[in-house]
Amino acid sequence: MVSEETAKKVIQAGLGNGGELAELYVEDRATLRLMLDDQKLEDATRGGDRGAGVRVFYGDTAAYAYTDDLSEESLLQAARAAAAAAKASGSGQVLDFSQQEHPLDLGYQKPFDSMPIAQKAEMLHDLDATIRGYDSRIAQATVVMRHLNRRVWLWNSEGIHAEDERNIIELMLVAIAKQGELVQPVRDGIGGQMGLELFDDQDPFALATGVAESAVKMLDSRPAPAGEMPVVITNGWGGVLFHEACGHALEADFVTKGTSAYAGLLGQQVASPLVTAVDDGTIAGRRGTIRFDDDGTPSSKTVLIEEGVLKEYMWDLAEARRGNQLSTGNGRRETFRHLPMPRMTNTYIDAGHHDPEEIVRSVKKGVFVKRLGGGGADIAKGDFVFSVTEGYLIEDGKLTAPIRGATLIGNGPMVLKELDMVGSDLALDRGRGTCGKGQSARVSVGQPTIRIPRLTVGGTDQPAGNRTGQ
Amino acid sequence: MDYLQLAKEMAHRGPAAGVEAEAFINVGIECEIRVSQGSVQQLSQAGSKGLGLRVIDGGRVGYAYTSDFDDLDATWTAALELAQAADADTYRGLPEPQSVPEDDLEIYDPTVESTPVDAKVALTKAMEQAALDYDQRIAAADRCVYSDKVEHIFLVNSRGFAGEFGRSVVVGYLRAVGRDTEGQTMGWGFGASPFLSEIDPSAIGAEAGRKAVEILGGKPVDTQQATVVFDPVGAAELVGWLAQALTAEAMQRSRSFLLDRMGQVVASDKVCLLDNGRLKRGIASAPFDGEGVPTAVTRLIDEGILQAVLHDTYTARKEDARSTGNARRESHRSLPKLGPSNFCLQPGPDAPEDIVSQVETGFYVTNIMNVGGINPVSGDFSVGASGLWIENGVLTRPVSGVTVSSTLPEILQNVVAVGSDLRFVPFVGAFGAPTVRVDGMVVAGR
Repeated sequence: MVSEETAKKVIQAGLGNGGELAELYVEDRATLRLMLDDQKLEDATRGGDRGAGVRVFYGDTAAYAYTDDLSEESLLQAARAAAAAAKASGSGQVLDFSQQEHPLDLGYQKPFDSMPIAQKAEMLHDLDATIRGYDSRIAQATVVMRHLNRRVWLWNSEGIHAEDERNIIELMLVAIAKQGELVQPVRDGIGGQMGLELFDDQDPFALATGVAESAVKMLDSRPAPAGEMPVVITNGWGGVLFHEACGHALEADFVTKGTSAYAGLLGQQVASPLVTAVDDGTIAGRRGTIRFDDDGTPSSKTVLIEEGVLKEYMWDLAEARRGNQLSTGNGRRETFRHLPMPRMTNTYIDAGHHDPEEIVRSVKKGVFVKRLGGGGADIAKGDFVFSVTEGYLIEDGKLTAPIRGATLIGNGPMVLKELDMVGSDLALDRGRGTCGKGQSARVSVGQPTIRIPRLTVGGTDQPAGNRTGQ
Repeated sequence: MDYLQLAKEMAHRGPAAGVEAEAFINVGIECEIRVSQGSVQQLSQAGSKGLGLRVIDGGRVGYAYTSDFDDLDATWTAALELAQAADADTYRGLPEPQSVPEDDLEIYDPTVESTPVDAKVALTKAMEQAALDYDQRIAAADRCVYSDKVEHIFLVNSRGFAGEFGRSVVVGYLRAVGRDTEGQTMGWGFGASPFLSEIDPSAIGAEAGRKAVEILGGKPVDTQQATVVFDPVGAAELVGWLAQALTAEAMQRSRSFLLDRMGQVVASDKVCLLDNGRLKRGIASAPFDGEGVPTAVTRLIDEGILQAVLHDTYTARKEDARSTGNARRESHRSLPKLGPSNFCLQPGPDAPEDIVSQVETGFYVTNIMNVGGINPVSGDFSVGASGLWIENGVLTRPVSGVTVSSTLPEILQNVVAVGSDLRFVPFVGAFGAPTVRVDGMVVAGR
């Protein structure tokens, strides 16, 4: 795509105005999206997108210019534009590049195009039929299959040359069940950094039956309770709570600015000793896995919290320069149009020793969360909010009625301290997560079943004694 | 390069191949600046372009896009091939060309491109400084961002439509971090307009500062039923989700809590919802929509009665209606999609202070954390919220860590007062609302 010779010239030009470090990032993207809705395959989109960006560091500033024209002339123009902003007196120089190595193999077995489009279309129809066939109360279904292939090349003036290919596949399903006035949508997905072998590893038809079953179950739901109570969150996707409520606060950009609730707390007990939390970009096949991050740093496994003690933050190159640290390989960018920032990869709470069934049995009256919807958190304070798409009441240690319209609200750092049971059933999610922090990044989350002894559930059904007003 | 001509060449390949074809080209330049602690942290500049091609072959739609204008044959072939995989739908087709009104929507500001970067950097720094100056308890400004974009759109279809226009969007925002002995809070401030001169850094910084400081020390209240007053930013979030339930697609596909309610009373008579694709200086305004249909003003709910829904060409054909010009295009990378333009709850007669002063006990919400808790399909509504507690008509102590819940149908019925202070919020579309009082919500806390 771009020769090493050209890369060298571009980086030289990037340093032309006294920059300290210059980098060329080249990306070639290919996507295919097939969406079936209302029983028809109605969106079949294929596209290509390629371009390059030149980044020049001087002091704490990163100047960036990008272009979708990969000619040497256009790349040099971008380099000069980035350099022009520098106006500094750094002494960066171009070294010889050495190819970065990483033992991680991201090879995929079945290329996405090995299945003809007509056959994929047929599979989408079969999935739609599976959802609709589950129950006559299924009113609508949506099936989306997406493929993204990203090839990236990176060179910088410190002599780094890294190349990576990220092959991402995903399948997303929505089932809507309807009975009288009550309508309940449920969505779920699978995906990974792999080829079509995804469908050998995870049965898409079982997923289709699963969303239909959940949506129909929720037709028998009652409004969620309101108030503080114990909450048990199931394993796998439940880890999104840690991702939002604590993970973001451990990203270095919030730490170097001092705005994170976890800034300045390295080495301190910040969570229950039951909690060990990890970010690991090297787990083969996972949605957040990368061989190199978008600064050219090899990905790694980082223990963030060990038995409750804060061990490390997640760093990218820019923040590592600022904080005088080493990057942990967490610099990610959505496309060549974006600058990297510290992002999570595959993030999870590690397994504990409690039997997951025992955790449910331990609750006299509370809520069991089977499916969490979206979530978000306020980094400074650590407050989080999550919606529950499938939840159940726990009464005397047993799951009883399904509940709808529940949200969970709490404070991340406080929940990590109060969390009092951690199951032995660690699982990562099935590959549906996309994190939005200004840029979107594919991530994986995970956890075992956990119990939070008290958490505010925001439903509409208040305890009788608390009613005021009307 | 003559992009209109290029779009024509692509679209006019259609008839020869026996298909309908539409070419969409956008060519833009953009600039983004991030400032932290008085210095530039990131400065990014670029030009970009792209072409999206939609072909419709006997009701089957294929779509392909590229940023490489040297290889358009491949894009053409890909779109044709994809159409073969899609399912036929007789209502799919391109609109007949219609004449586009020529009134000036004031959506293009040439000074966005001609203003030197240094001046934009100064504006960004002023935003941060205004937040820090607001109160000594403002500890930092996180994500202090200026971004602008100028783009030219070219759209041609094989039925004879050809149009082009230019537009600009300038956005400034930041998140102020408030800090006292009890902990930290955050507050957003923002401004958006097609015109650079309308971005007021002092106002944006001060808004963020005020929103962070006023909730310092916030605590949950007891769980209870209460009156909730949403400020315009919080109310706009609610309005944005109502828009999702008011498209013809949501109705035709059973994805609206307002299904089968056309012509009925669905809200209190204080509620009027309007979509205006021709709003002067609106950030979602355009002379024509993503498939070449002139944009329009559509009154959806009028004094509480559901009157209309938003249409694109496809949904309109399905029920023998007219497109309201709401086929939206985010970029050349995806098909036009039915959605709102400048969509708002119409302002009412009341001053916002008077709305608060008439509440005996209630919750004035200045910040909503919504994460999927508002569901336009089921009508469920439950969001995290922070703000100030109202007692005897006066704003008293800060409240945070609570949820506010109800259902969308009940919220619409329980709108008791609508303020005169309409404001548009630029994130994810252009949704506007004034201060709104809703009775009978559940506030869940301790």
